[in-house]
Amino acid sequence: MIETPLSAATAPPARSASAHAALRLHGIRKSFRSHLWLRPRVVLDGLSLSVTAGTIHGLLGPNGAGKTTALRILLGLLRPDAGTAEIAGRPSTDPEARRSLGFLPENPYFYDYLTAREFLDLSARLAGVPPRDRRERTGQLISAVGMEGRDDIPLRRCSKGMVQRVGMAQALIGDPEVLVLDEPMSGLDPVGRREFRDLILARRRAGRTVFFSSHILQDAEMICDRVSILEGGRLAVEGDLASLLSGEVRFWEVTVTGCDPAALREEWEPIATVPGETVGRVRRQEDLDRLLRKVSAMGGSVRAVVPCRETLEDLFLRQISRKGDA
Amino acid sequence: MTNSPTGAIALNTFREAVRDRVLYLLMFFALAWISSARVVALMTVGSEAKIVKDLGLAAIELVGVLIAVLIGVGLVFKEIEKRTVHVLLARPIHRWQFLLGKYLGLAAVVSLNTLVMTACLHLLLATHGEADFSLLPAIGLLWIEQLVMISVALLFSSFSSPILSSVFTLSVFVMGHLSWSLRLLERRMTTTAGRLLCETLYWLLPNLERLNLKAEAVHRVPIPSVQIVLAAAYGIAWSVLLVALAAAVFSRRDFT
Amino acid sequence: MRTLGTRVWGVCLVVAVAMIAVTSAKLDRGESRTDSWDLLYLPNGRYLAVASLGQRQVLADFIYLWAIQYYGHYDISNRYEHLDRIFREVITELDPRYFDPYWIGALIMTTETKDLERALALLDKGFVANPDQWLLPYLAGWECYHARRLDLAAGYFEKAIRVPGAPAVIRRAYAAMYEKKGDRAVSIAAWAAIESDPSVDERGHQIARRHLDSLRVEQDIETLQQAIARYAAKHGANPGSLEALVRDGALPSVPVDSDGRPYGYDRRTGKVAPASTHVLEAR
Repeated sequence: MIETPLSAATAPPARSASAHAALRLHGIRKSFRSHLWLRPRVVLDGLSLSVTAGTIHGLLGPNGAGKTTALRILLGLLRPDAGTAEIAGRPSTDPEARRSLGFLPENPYFYDYLTAREFLDLSARLAGVPPRDRRERTGQLISAVGMEGRDDIPLRRCSKGMVQRVGMAQALIGDPEVLVLDEPMSGLDPVGRREFRDLILARRRAGRTVFFSSHILQDAEMICDRVSILEGGRLAVEGDLASLLSGEVRFWEVTVTGCDPAALREEWEPIATVPGETVGRVRRQEDLDRLLRKVSAMGGSVRAVVPCRETLEDLFLRQISRKGDA
Repeated sequence: MTNSPTGAIALNTFREAVRDRVLYLLMFFALAWISSARVVALMTVGSEAKIVKDLGLAAIELVGVLIAVLIGVGLVFKEIEKRTVHVLLARPIHRWQFLLGKYLGLAAVVSLNTLVMTACLHLLLATHGEADFSLLPAIGLLWIEQLVMISVALLFSSFSSPILSSVFTLSVFVMGHLSWSLRLLERRMTTTAGRLLCETLYWLLPNLERLNLKAEAVHRVPIPSVQIVLAAAYGIAWSVLLVALAAAVFSRRDFT
Repeated sequence: MRTLGTRVWGVCLVVAVAMIAVTSAKLDRGESRTDSWDLLYLPNGRYLAVASLGQRQVLADFIYLWAIQYYGHYDISNRYEHLDRIFREVITELDPRYFDPYWIGALIMTTETKDLERALALLDKGFVANPDQWLLPYLAGWECYHARRLDLAAGYFEKAIRVPGAPAVIRRAYAAMYEKKGDRAVSIAAWAAIESDPSVDERGHQIARRHLDSLRVEQDIETLQQAIARYAAKHGANPGSLEALVRDGALPSVPVDSDGRPYGYDRRTGKVAPASTHVLEAR
């Protein structure tokens, strides 16, 4: 597991009761016009959301929902047509607001004629890291993201995964209060994804905030405290993960062997059969108890009973289909 | 200086240019041009040094413009296109600091090139026994002309593609050297509208001929210091104006 | 492994190169030299200056270099048609302070086309733009001298010596020119100035003295002849000797040449001659 020495060393800062939200969007409206004569296309339509300090907050939604646009407005890269965007209470267009913010864009591309170390040094200068700390921090982060020994290769010769790691390093170089990541897991292999998840969790342990966008719901489910689901430029769902997902078991997947599945028709619906085993879905607790007794009576055995709770994906698809009905 | 964001970006821009093959090709071309002046001069009846000086000064001027066009026009555009600018602007820096840093980096490149070429030219002239300080005021003004040209390239680079920017930058160079004739044209215009047009065009363009003291330098015509200082101030003022314009355009921009 | 594709490509290449070579050779023979010199229709230098985008001097250099090569081609028979235009209206308009085209152009004009007027026009133009270049009126003076226009020559030499920084040695040409023209007063003054100039070397002084002596002799003889003529008119006969002129009051004293030798006087003819040992400067 990767622990950034920075976040491990610093204790979580005391939070004042009147702290501003770490990030805040209020009433954001943004449209784009590809040609002067065409009608503008609305990308964000009255979006409001708030990220509490010290949490991991996921911004989810299908492709084209406006997630990247929302992030860019937060960073001051885009100006909204209406609404306000704030970082710790300061307007996003104020450069000082970004002093304690680190950003990793989607599919990052950095100066390919620089090596990883040179690029991190430049990032450190721009982030305002004091000269005496620069070298040390650069070295720490290079190992924290797993790039030690490869920091002298020009970025143009680095693989996508390596560039992504360098990107995470430059986002962390100023030890920011808030980390903003746009699709951070894209381009990473499973090992890399695990490492990034660990990095993000380490930030929260140190009391920092992480706000990231993703269209991969499984990642969000694993680490987020809170999610906002965007759809069609608007907020579809928002809330703490714990309260959004009921946690109830929706059904069990039971694997049975050694008896005739047809006899269990009342209790379950079979979903898959392989030679010797059948897997079926059981919805109710009583049905499950009855099924277990029946199988035992028939002389078969139950191989597995897996409780399936509602996932974020289920929630999301439910939202979409509801929208589709309405 | 490099601890400020502007300085860091300037240093980085300089590094980018120095690691780019284009710069070395240009410098090689420039030095070949100056050396060839020696050969061309052999064909003349009369003063050989005059030919070497003329060709050398033309080389210094035109290679500077080439640097502006080949390296300068991609400077900002590439950053926007490749999105390297996003990560940079997410830092606590003002957009104008980014632009000024780019300008200073390119100015450093152009200055280095001018220095090297001037040294070579004087080395060559020394073999004729003609190396002295008479060319330096003219070269100084040519250096300022290059600063103006790179600020033109930077302005166009902040909102249009490299191809268009190249065309525009070269056009400004051409028109800048023709603008003195606008004044003559104005006197021959019969309609007020025509005269107004000429006058407006004249003021909209930098009059690059004011920075052209090559003839005086080569023919050793004494130039009053006031004129040199005024011309230099004129050029610097134009550079400042254009960079400020570029910063304004850049500030308004949406980065999608 | 040579595939068909590679063979076809190879053949095409060879055929194309051969075609280019053959057609080029044929076209070269067809083009006549004079037809292809469209450069002769160069626009006036003032217009070219606009087109040169701040590189007037370089353009002037190149046209001048081209002109030298062009005028060195002896096989082009009518190459002097545009000589004046190229030098006076193009090159020197582009770079009026470029010195070489003026004197080279003028030399070509006088040597090849014997056109003194145009050569002088070019040199005059050059001197107006370059008042510090004494060589231009100096050259003009010599060209006039060779064309036997002594009056013009003298005037040019005067211009030349007035240029600050003109070498002292050209004053000799100036003095000699006025002497040849017959303007004794100016030339004596000029030679005297050279003789007394401390910056001139000993040889220069000697030359000046020689000229002065010879001029003074001439002047004395002229004065004496005039006095004799007046005496003869007054008294009806030539004076018996030169001293008689002094006694008569026609002269304050009997002049002698600068070596102190008396002049010879023939009473019968009334002619004065220089001292027999004196050798007059050949004119």
